[in-house]
Amino acid sequence: MSGGGGRWERVRDRVRSSSSSMRGDRQTRTVRLGRVQPQAPGHRTIFCNDREANLPVKFKGNSISTTKYNLLTFLPKGLFEQFRRVANLYFLMISILSTTPISPVHPITNVVPLSLVLFVSLVKEAFEDWKRLLNDRVINSSPIDVLQDQKWESIPWKKLQVGDIIKVKQDGFFPADLLFLASSNPDGVCYIETANLDGETNLKIRKALERTWDYLLPEKAAEFKGEIQCEQPNNSLYTFTGNLIIGKQTLPISPNQILLRGCSLRNTEYIVGAVIFTGHETKVMMNAMNVPSKRSTLERKLDKLILMLFGVLFVMCFIGAIGSGVFINRKHYYLGLNDRVEDQFNPNNRFVVAILTMFTLITLYSTIIPISLYVSIEMIKFIQSTQFINKDLNMYHRESNTPALARTSNLNEELGQVEYIFSDKTGTLTRNLMEFFKCSIAGEVYGHGITEIESGGAQRSGLRIDETKKSSTAVHEKGFNFDDARLMRGAWRNEHDPDACKEFFRCLAICHTVLPEGDESPEKITYQAASPDEAALVVAAKNFGFFFYRRTPTMIMVRESHVEKIGKIQDVSYEILNVLEFNSTRKRQSVICRYPNGRLVLYCKGADTVIYERLAYGNDTIKNVSRGHLEQFGSAGLRTLCLAYRDLNSELYESWNEKFIQAKSTLRDREKKMDEVAELIETDLILIGCTAIEDKLQEGVPSCIETLSRAGIKIWVLTGDKMETAINIAYACSLINNSMKQFVISSETDEIREVESRGDTVETARFMKESVKKELKRCIQEAEHSMHTLSGNKLALIIDGKCLMYALDPQLRVTLLNLSLNCHAVVCCRVSPLQKAQVTSLVKNGARKITLSIGDGANDVSMIQAAHVGVGISGLEGMQAVMASDFAIAQFRFLTDLLLVHGRWSYIRICKVVTYFFYKNLTFTLTQFWFTFQTGFSGQRFYDDWFQSLYNVIFTALPVIIVGLFDKDVSASLSKRYPQLYKEGIKNMFFKWRVLAVWAVFSVYQSLIFFYFTTAASRNSKNASGKLFGLWDVSTMAFTCVVVTVNLRLLMTCNVITRWHHISVIGSILAWFIFIFLYSGIMTPYDRQENIYFVIYVLMSTFFFYLTLLLVPVVALLGDVIYQGLQRWFAPYDYQIIQELHRHEPEQRSRPDLLEIGTAMTVDEERTFAISQLPRETSKHTGFAFDSPGYESFFASLHGVNVPQRAWDVARRASMRSRQPRTSIR
Amino acid sequence: MGWLQRRPVYQDQVLKELHVEDRSSILGSMDNDEASTSGSNLEIHSGFRNTLHSSVYGFTQQNLPACKPVLTPGWVITMFLSVGFICIPIGVAALLASQSVVEIVDRYDTECIPEVFRDNKVAYIKDDSISKNCTRILKVPSYMKAPIYVYYQLDSFYQNHRRYVKSRSDRQLLYGLKYTDTASCKPEETGNGLPIVPCGLVAWSLFNDTYNFVHESVELKVNRKNIAWKSDREHKFGKDVYPFNFQNGSLIGGAKLDPQIPLSEQEDLMVWMRTAALPSFRKLYGVIEIDLDADEILTVFLSNNYNTYSFGGKKRLVLSTKSWLGGKNNFLAVACLAVGSSCIFMALLFVLLHVRNPRTFGDPTYLTLDRKSNFA
Repeated sequence: MSGGGGRWERVRDRVRSSSSSMRGDRQTRTVRLGRVQPQAPGHRTIFCNDREANLPVKFKGNSISTTKYNLLTFLPKGLFEQFRRVANLYFLMISILSTTPISPVHPITNVVPLSLVLFVSLVKEAFEDWKRLLNDRVINSSPIDVLQDQKWESIPWKKLQVGDIIKVKQDGFFPADLLFLASSNPDGVCYIETANLDGETNLKIRKALERTWDYLLPEKAAEFKGEIQCEQPNNSLYTFTGNLIIGKQTLPISPNQILLRGCSLRNTEYIVGAVIFTGHETKVMMNAMNVPSKRSTLERKLDKLILMLFGVLFVMCFIGAIGSGVFINRKHYYLGLNDRVEDQFNPNNRFVVAILTMFTLITLYSTIIPISLYVSIEMIKFIQSTQFINKDLNMYHRESNTPALARTSNLNEELGQVEYIFSDKTGTLTRNLMEFFKCSIAGEVYGHGITEIESGGAQRSGLRIDETKKSSTAVHEKGFNFDDARLMRGAWRNEHDPDACKEFFRCLAICHTVLPEGDESPEKITYQAASPDEAALVVAAKNFGFFFYRRTPTMIMVRESHVEKIGKIQDVSYEILNVLEFNSTRKRQSVICRYPNGRLVLYCKGADTVIYERLAYGNDTIKNVSRGHLEQFGSAGLRTLCLAYRDLNSELYESWNEKFIQAKSTLRDREKKMDEVAELIETDLILIGCTAIEDKLQEGVPSCIETLSRAGIKIWVLTGDKMETAINIAYACSLINNSMKQFVISSETDEIREVESRGDTVETARFMKESVKKELKRCIQEAEHSMHTLSGNKLALIIDGKCLMYALDPQLRVTLLNLSLNCHAVVCCRVSPLQKAQVTSLVKNGARKITLSIGDGANDVSMIQAAHVGVGISGLEGMQAVMASDFAIAQFRFLTDLLLVHGRWSYIRICKVVTYFFYKNLTFTLTQFWFTFQTGFSGQRFYDDWFQSLYNVIFTALPVIIVGLFDKDVSASLSKRYPQLYKEGIKNMFFKWRVLAVWAVFSVYQSLIFFYFTTAASRNSKNASGKLFGLWDVSTMAFTCVVVTVNLRLLMTCNVITRWHHISVIGSILAWFIFIFLYSGIMTPYDRQENIYFVIYVLMSTFFFYLTLLLVPVVALLGDVIYQGLQRWFAPYDYQIIQELHRHEPEQRSRPDLLEIGTAMTVDEERTFAISQLPRETSKHTGFAFDSPGYESFFASLHGVNVPQRAWDVARRASMRSRQPRTSIR
Repeated sequence: MGWLQRRPVYQDQVLKELHVEDRSSILGSMDNDEASTSGSNLEIHSGFRNTLHSSVYGFTQQNLPACKPVLTPGWVITMFLSVGFICIPIGVAALLASQSVVEIVDRYDTECIPEVFRDNKVAYIKDDSISKNCTRILKVPSYMKAPIYVYYQLDSFYQNHRRYVKSRSDRQLLYGLKYTDTASCKPEETGNGLPIVPCGLVAWSLFNDTYNFVHESVELKVNRKNIAWKSDREHKFGKDVYPFNFQNGSLIGGAKLDPQIPLSEQEDLMVWMRTAALPSFRKLYGVIEIDLDADEILTVFLSNNYNTYSFGGKKRLVLSTKSWLGGKNNFLAVACLAVGSSCIFMALLFVLLHVRNPRTFGDPTYLTLDRKSNFA
C-alpha cells in the first residue's frame, strides 16, 4: 500500500464513480454483527425537511451516551458491580458481622481493606466512565450544518432530528445515519471510510439516487420534500431496505444511498443528506453490545482455590467452636460468667456458645481469603498487556508498522498454557500477497515457475531442482510473477486457441470489482481491490496486454494490445450492465457486459466446484484436462479460480434483468432473492480456463511452527483450501514431514463419487457417514498400533470438510477426538467457518485442553471466538478477525514471542502471585489460629485491628505486584531457544494442588514458628527495668516477624531480583516500621484501647527483640531453603536447569537474537514505533476503493459470522478522533 | 530454530556494527527529504534514549537489570554454613546470659493452704475469716546481684480471654468519672447503680497476694515503685483519677485499691492491666535493691489471698536477676544453638550429598520434558 496523503486527490478526478449497477446489488450477504437480525416489518415514515410533520412520531434525539453510570447511579450501580465478586461480597458480610458484639475485631479490620479495594476499583470505573462522558460530550456538541430557512445553520450534533437535511464536509463524520441525497462530485457519488465501523480502511463508494442529485445548494435543498419509508432501526450494518417517495414517485433505497454514523467523508467536498436514524438508533450504536468476556482457565481454578480456602476456614472455625464450647466454665470466675452473661459465654448452653463462636472466628480468620488478590491480579495483567505485550519490539512488525495489541488483559496467563493452536492458512501462515503464477487456457498450461512448496517437496523426495533461468519475458511485479513467453507480448496469438486466450484475458480485465488508482499508465497505475486475488488477476490482464485503466459507473475501459494484430493498441470501453457479486455461498462473481459491437457476454469466475456445476453440456475433454490442471495447481500450493463465459442474447437478458431489478427492490429477503435470480443466468457457461495464484508463506512460519511443536503445542490447520494445497502448505511449514504417519480421510474417493453421482442425497449422506466411521475406526486402530510400537512415528491427520461434517456427528465425535488428540498435526481442508468453530470447541470442551485460534479473515471470526484465546493477524484482509480477537499480532511468527515469552512469563507470574497470596494469608491467619488455642477458644484477636487490616493492603501488597510484573525464570531469548520449557505451562506445573500443598505445609510450619517462637521467647524476657511483655507486645513482635519473613519469602521465590524488588520489599518492611512508630506514638480521643501505645519503643530497647527478629525469620525460612535446595538438587524443574546452564551469561540487554530476525530497533524504528503507538485508526494504510466489507478470500464464507462489538469500543471508534484533515503518516 | 544455534556470541562490537548497518539501510529506505532533515536529530534522539529512556525501555521490554539468584549447592552450603556460624555464637552468648541469671521459683499455692483445707481449697480461699498468712523459706542458690526482681507467676489464668481482655476502659482510666461511656467494661461496669472506677473485669480481678521478705531478721525492702511501664504511668492512667466504688459489689474479685491514691500511682494495677499473652504468665511485684549472697536464707511472709483454686491455677513466687537479654529463658539460646548446629549439619549433609551423588549443574540430561513420550 504505497502512496501518500494526496493520493486520493489525484485519484478523484479519474475515478468518477464506480458502476452503479455494481453498487446496486451490494446487499448480497448478511453480515450479522449483533444478536439482533435485521427486521423488515414495521417501518418508519420520515418526512424530510419537515420537523413539524415528524413531531408526532417522537423520534429519538441525536445525543448519545455511552457512559455506564451517571452521578446518581454511580455508587449503587458501581458497588453492585463490585459486590458481584464473591470475595467482595464475603468481605461485605464479614464487615457487617464485625459491627456486632460477636466480632472479636473492630469493623475497621475488614472495612479498611474492603473499602480500599472497592475504592481502587471504583476509581478505575469512574475514570473510564469519565473519559466516556467527555468523549460523549465532545461528540454531542460537535457542530453540523443543518438546513434552516434556505441557509446552512451550524448546530451541535445532539440537536439534530430525524428528517433534517444536513451538509457534511470533507473529512467530516456523519452525525447520524443519513440518506445520501446529493454530492459535490458530479454523478452523485461520494467516498466514505468505514474504519470506525468495521476497521477497514479501504474507501467505499456511495451513490445517491439520480432523482435527488440536484438538491445540493441550500436554496434548492430547501425545496426537497420527500417521504422516506424504511425499516425500523436495526443493527445490520450492510443492509437497508426502504423507499423514497418524492411526489408520486417511489424510489427504492439500497445501502448504497445510506451513510452510516461513524463513517467519514473522503475525497468529496461535501454532501447533502437527510437524517434517517439518530443517536442510539443508528446502526453503529445498535451494534454496541457487550460480549461476555472470556475468563482464563487459571482464574477459574483460582475460584476453586478460594472455595477450598472457605473449606479450610470452616474447619478452623469448627475446631475453635468446639473448643470454645468445651472451655467455657464458671470456674473461671474472673471472666464474670454470672447469670446475666450474654449467650456467647453462657456455660449453661454450650451449643449456643459454639455456634456464636463460630461466627466470631469467621470474622477473626477472614484474612484467610485474600481480598486484594483479584485487584492485584487485574493490575498486574493490565500492565502486562498494555506495557509489555503491546510494546514488545519483538512483536513489532516494521514493514506494516504494526505492534502487537492485547485487546483484553484477561487472558495473559492463558497464553502460557495453550496446547492446541488452530490456524487459518491464508494470510496467517501465508502472506496473502497474491501473485499470478500460472494459468490454464483451453486445456493448455502456461507458466514455468516452481513454487516454494514444489521445490520444498522436491527436496523432501531427494530431488534437486536447479533454479531455472528466467526467460527475458519473465515479469515479476506486485501481484504478477509469471514466466511464459507463449503468452507475453501478444505471442498468445500464435497459440492453438487464440480466441480462448482473448476471452480469458477479457474475463480477467472485465470481471472484477477492482478500482484503478493513480496515473493511467501501465507502470504507474495501482489497483485497489478488496481481495488481493482480484488485484493479481487484473494485474495479470494488464501484463497480457489487456490494461484495465478506468472505471465509471457504467463502463470499464480496457486498453487492448495485440488483439487484431501485433503492436496495435486500442482503447475499448465495455458497458457493464450488471455485477453479480461474490459472496461466500455463491463462491463466484459474474459481470454482464456489452461490447462496443453489441455483443452481450456474461463473464464468470469462481471456485471450481461451483463453476463446473454450471458449465454447459459437452466439451468434456477441456473440462477434464482443466480439472487435471486444477489439481496440479492445487498440489503446488496455488490458489485456483475457474473462468467461464456465456454469450447472451438481448431477449434473454432483458427478461432476466426485469427479474433482477424486481429482486433488487424487494424489501424482504432481498439477498436471497437476488441470489436466486443470479442463479438463473449463471448457467450454460463455457469454460475458458483457470488461473493459479501463489500465496507465499509468511516469513519465519516454518521455524515458528517447529518451535511451537517443540514446545508441545499441537497445531491444526483449518483451511478452506483444497486438500492438496493444504497438505503442501503443511509440508512447507514443516507441520507434516515424511517421517509422519499420515491418515487421510477424504470425501474425494471413487466410491463416494459413485454414490454421489446417483444423486440420492439421503443415500449419499448415509454412505458418507458409514465410510467416515470406517475410516476413523481404521485410523484409530493404526494409531494405537503405531503408538505401541517402539519407533512411535508421529501421526498426522488430514480430513476434508465434508468428512468432517460427518465426523463431527455426536456419535463419531469421540472417535474423532481420540484420533486427533493422538495426532501431532491435523489438517482440515475445505472447512466452513462454522466447522472451524466446531472443531475448536470439540477440542476445547471435549478434551478440556487450552486452545488458541489464529486467523486473519472474517471467516476465522467464529473460530477465534470459540477458542480459549483468539488471536487475530492484523494483516491485509480487513480488521474483522482483529476486532473479534483477544490478541492481535502482525505476523504468525510473533506467536512464538506471544506464547513462549509473554504467555509463559505471564503464567509463571500469575501462578507465583496466586500461590504467594495464598501462602501469606494462610500463614497470617494460622498464627491467629494457634493463638486461639491459648485463649480458651474465645476468639480473642492476636493482632491489633490496624495490623490486620493493613497487612494485605500495605505491608505485603506491593512486592507481590512487582513480582507479578518482573519475574522471569529465563530470559526471552532462552525461552525461545528452549521451547520445551513451555510444557511446564501446558502441564500446569506451577498451579497444581501439589504445589499449593507444599506452600500450605510451609505456611503451617512458619505460622507455628511465628507464634510459638515469639511467645516462648518472650516468656521470661523483660526489658532493662525488669518489666515483662504483655499480649500486645508479643503480638507486635510476632507481627513484625511475619511481615519481615513473608516479604523475604517472596524474594526467595523470585528468579530475578531487580532494584524494584529491593525497593518494594524494603519499602514494605519500612512501611511497617514507620507505621508502628507512628501508631504507637499516638493516642486518640476515642476509647479504642490503645494497646499498642508505646509498645514498639519498649520492644526496640531490648536485645531480645533483635535476637528474635533475627532468629524467627531464619528458622521460618530454613524449611523453605532446605526444600528449595533439595528440590533443585533432586527434581529440578527444567527452567532451573536452563538457568544453571546459562547462569554465567549476563542479561542480554541488547538482545542479539533480535538482529537475526531483523527486528532490532534502531532509532528510526523506534520513531516509527512511537508513531504506531498513536491511535491505530490513523496509522494504518489507506485506501482501497472497493466496497466489500469482510471480503475475504474466494473460499471464505461469511455465514454465521458474529463480530463482537463492545459498547465502549464502538462508541470510541464511532466518535471523532480528530478534526484535522487526514495526513497519512509514513 | 537454526538461527539460535548460529547466534553470534554477543559482542558489543558486532552488535554496534549491525546496528549501524541496520540504521543506514533504514535511512536509505526512507523518503529522501525526510531522512535528510531528521538525520541530525537522530543522534540527539539516540543519546536521549540511552540516558533517559533506557529505564522505560527496559521496563516495557522486560529487560531491567537484575540479578538472578540461582540456588546452587555452593550457595546452599554457604548459606547454611554462614547461618550456622552466625547463630552458634549468638546462641552461646544468649545461653551464657540466660545461665548467668539466678532465679528462685517457689510454688506456694498448695503449701500455703493448711492441711485441713487441702481438699477444699476454694472454700478456704473464699472464707474471709481465716487468716491467709503463710511463711515460706527461700534459699539463695548463688550470688544474686541487685536489682533482684520479684515476680508472681500464675498458671491457667486466661488473661487473654476475649471477654476478659476487652472488659476495660482506657478512657476511664485516664479521665475517671468524667468519661461515662464504659459499655466496654461489662460486666463490671457499675456497682450498686454507681459507676466503678476502674471498671471492667481486668481491674476487678486484680491480684492481691502480698509478699514481705525478711533477710537475716531484717526486713528486706522491696521497691514497689517504678514497676509499671513509664508510658502507662504517664499517659494511660490519670493523675487525678481516684478509685471509686471499686470492689463494692456483692462479689469481690481481687485486691482493693486505696481511693486516696490516684491511678497513676497504682502501679500494681498498671502491671496487672497489661494483660498477658498466654494463660501462664509472670508479673512484676517489686524490686529488691540489694545483693544477695549464696546460701543466704530469705523468709517470705505472704498473704495468700488470690483465688486461683477455682480454676486450678498455680501460684509461684519468683526472684530473678537479669542479664542483657532479659530473664532466665534458655529458649532463645537453645533455639539459636539448635538452628545453628542443624544448619551446619545440613551443610555437611549437602556436602556429603554432593560428594556421593554429584550433580553437574546445568546438565541438559536433567531436562525432563523432552524425554517424556508425547502420549504420556
